[in-house]
Amino acid sequence: MSDPRYDRLAELVLDHSLRLQPGEVLRIEAAVVAAPLVLPLHREAIKRGAHAYAALDLDGLKELLVEHGSDDQLEFVSPIELREMDAIDASITIWSEENTRSFSQADTERRQRQLAAHRQVAIRRRDRIAQGEHRWCGTLSPTEAHAQDADMSLRDYEDFVFRACHVLDEDPVGHWRRVGELLQARAAELGSVRELHILGAGTDLTVLVEGRTWRAAHGRQNVPDGEVYTSPVETGVNGTIRFGLPAVFNGREIDDPRLRFEDGRVVAAEAAGGDAYLQSLLRLDEGANGVGEIAFGLNYEIDRFTRNILFDEKIGGTLHLALGMGFEDLGGRNRSALHLDLICDLRREGEVYADGELIWRNGSFLQDPQPARPVEHVR
Amino acid sequence: MSDSRHERMADVLVGFCADVREGDLVTLETTPLAAPMLSALYCRLLEAGAHPLPRISLEGMTESLLDHGNDEQLAWVNPAREDDIETVDVRIALEAPGNTRRLSNVDPARQARSDRSAERLRNRYLERAAAGELRWVLTAYPTQASAQDASMSLAEYEDFVYGAAFLDDPDPVARWREFGERLDRVEAFLATKRELRVVAEGTDLRLVTGGRTWIASKGRENFPDGEVFTGPVETSVEGEIRFTYPGVFNAREVDDVRLRFEAGEVVEATAARGQEFLREMIAMDDGARRVGEFAFGLNEGVQMFTRNTLFDEKIGGTIHLALGTAYPETGGLNRSALHWDLVCDLRSAGEVFADGELVYRDGKFLNGVG
Repeated sequence: MSDPRYDRLAELVLDHSLRLQPGEVLRIEAAVVAAPLVLPLHREAIKRGAHAYAALDLDGLKELLVEHGSDDQLEFVSPIELREMDAIDASITIWSEENTRSFSQADTERRQRQLAAHRQVAIRRRDRIAQGEHRWCGTLSPTEAHAQDADMSLRDYEDFVFRACHVLDEDPVGHWRRVGELLQARAAELGSVRELHILGAGTDLTVLVEGRTWRAAHGRQNVPDGEVYTSPVETGVNGTIRFGLPAVFNGREIDDPRLRFEDGRVVAAEAAGGDAYLQSLLRLDEGANGVGEIAFGLNYEIDRFTRNILFDEKIGGTLHLALGMGFEDLGGRNRSALHLDLICDLRREGEVYADGELIWRNGSFLQDPQPARPVEHVR
Repeated sequence: MSDSRHERMADVLVGFCADVREGDLVTLETTPLAAPMLSALYCRLLEAGAHPLPRISLEGMTESLLDHGNDEQLAWVNPAREDDIETVDVRIALEAPGNTRRLSNVDPARQARSDRSAERLRNRYLERAAAGELRWVLTAYPTQASAQDASMSLAEYEDFVYGAAFLDDPDPVARWREFGERLDRVEAFLATKRELRVVAEGTDLRLVTGGRTWIASKGRENFPDGEVFTGPVETSVEGEIRFTYPGVFNAREVDDVRLRFEAGEVVEATAARGQEFLREMIAMDDGARRVGEFAFGLNEGVQMFTRNTLFDEKIGGTIHLALGTAYPETGGLNRSALHWDLVCDLRSAGEVFADGELVYRDGKFLNGVG
């Protein structure tokens, strides 16, 4: 049975995120469990005159490699795949998994080596994106594993995902275009702010953002989307923050993390669960205990925590802060192999002041961005 | 339920058929239906020190291309797959169809256009294989769709496939080596002959194989295996042949195919069903109306027609000829986007004469050959 919502999601990714053109080469990267989305993406890309193909993985094979591979095999990067990166105009990553915890028992060091080796491919793509030679989008096809992580049935989870993507709207592309206008205006407004002051349960944090560029994320590189973000001034984060929602990183969970910052560095950290893991991540490298990102999650169709960062960081009414790697093109200077997003729930009680002025209370900005435009609000 | 034959099959494919060595780059082409075998192969390849590169395809993608693609898209060859063909040391293709008839309603002309674009890739890998730069093996994973085509239950079909592969033998590799020696004797015998004449009901066909190389196919490039083949002299095929079994190509079936050859070319082609498709395929290009391969099927473990060429052309007691491209290592010169094997059963009332002498009757070579 075919579900037209997968077709609509495919159309949104091709027409809004990638703006795919006839004659372009598109690579769809996914595990076979994402077939319900791979097939419509491929078909719709063909209809748009593109040369589309899929690079498919079978869940469980990488696990075998990490368990049984020799050093050589573990660190092997296919020269074919590296060359392939140069020949494609656009790519889609579907992050769907059959089992989100399949690496839980794996040797962490061997898994890290395998991931590190494969980063060559990601870096090659990132460079081409930066040079405007490549367009990329990451999205998700609902699976039982993701539904299980979200404490939902697959049916309910599909409803959740497609609502968050706004593919049930009359005109999904129009929706995301309007979100783009709204969030770009918001980002422009935040661009003139010097310092943010965040107050919430267990949270009293000042974040210096002066001189940094804010960016609107409106469905180009992620579907669903809905956030504005920047990299704060590396030495300008002070105070305490309690995140409230668990952080999930490489299939491991950190519950209720709390951090204390002095001059941009974490000086105290604790978590109700996964504390040792949090501590090990903070020690990963020099940049791991610095801040790489601060962002407002503004997709109000995402109204619950689902243990998947693609959705969690966009929960409408939250703020997130990432330890580790910053965004160079936004002025960020922190460098790290880590980029750990931690989500602070500001929906029930939370206030944000911009240079002393209250701009956000209990999960939403108090005013539409100025100059005000006749746009439909995200909700 | 895990079937220990998956592991045995993986052992034979990696260790014997493809003879995988440390450091080899190995592509694994299949569909998600073969997941258990793919995992077993992946493990064996890691053990062998190779770098497995899965190339998994979803049924439905070809249909989308053939239904909606424009000429430029149909003609497009993925540079990454070209790179595979140029780069890898071993190619393992594992057939695992979910529906063997999924292309039944595709426009044959569009199908032919798409096949032509894939021809360059095919020729190139055959060329690298002939030069000894690339090893490849085509094999099958039993699926419901294949079982259905064979009119069997899945369990029966699994027994058929693994039986034909001698996996029930305590030492399958030893069994394949022994069978290979028998095939070598047939190869050596045929190498001494110049002209063959095949006589059966509706069939009286002459062809020259002198000067061409006969090759015993004994579990290297096809698995299971069991045939001795060559590429006949292109202009030498004369007479007529009536094929016992339906011709199956691109998921289409053509029944009771009869071909008449003059000076190596098909001059008349009829079929009880699917005649139009037969004629379109033969008109695909210049090489499609000539014979690229002539072979004897010699695997006694394959007795039944199952609508899968990999098995059907090996049925012990049959001959087959292929319209279209020849294997370069036979000395065959014909080139085409087509390679369509058609099987003729000689088990009842079939005879083959070599240089005028009766050498084969009712499905068996005479005088202890083979």
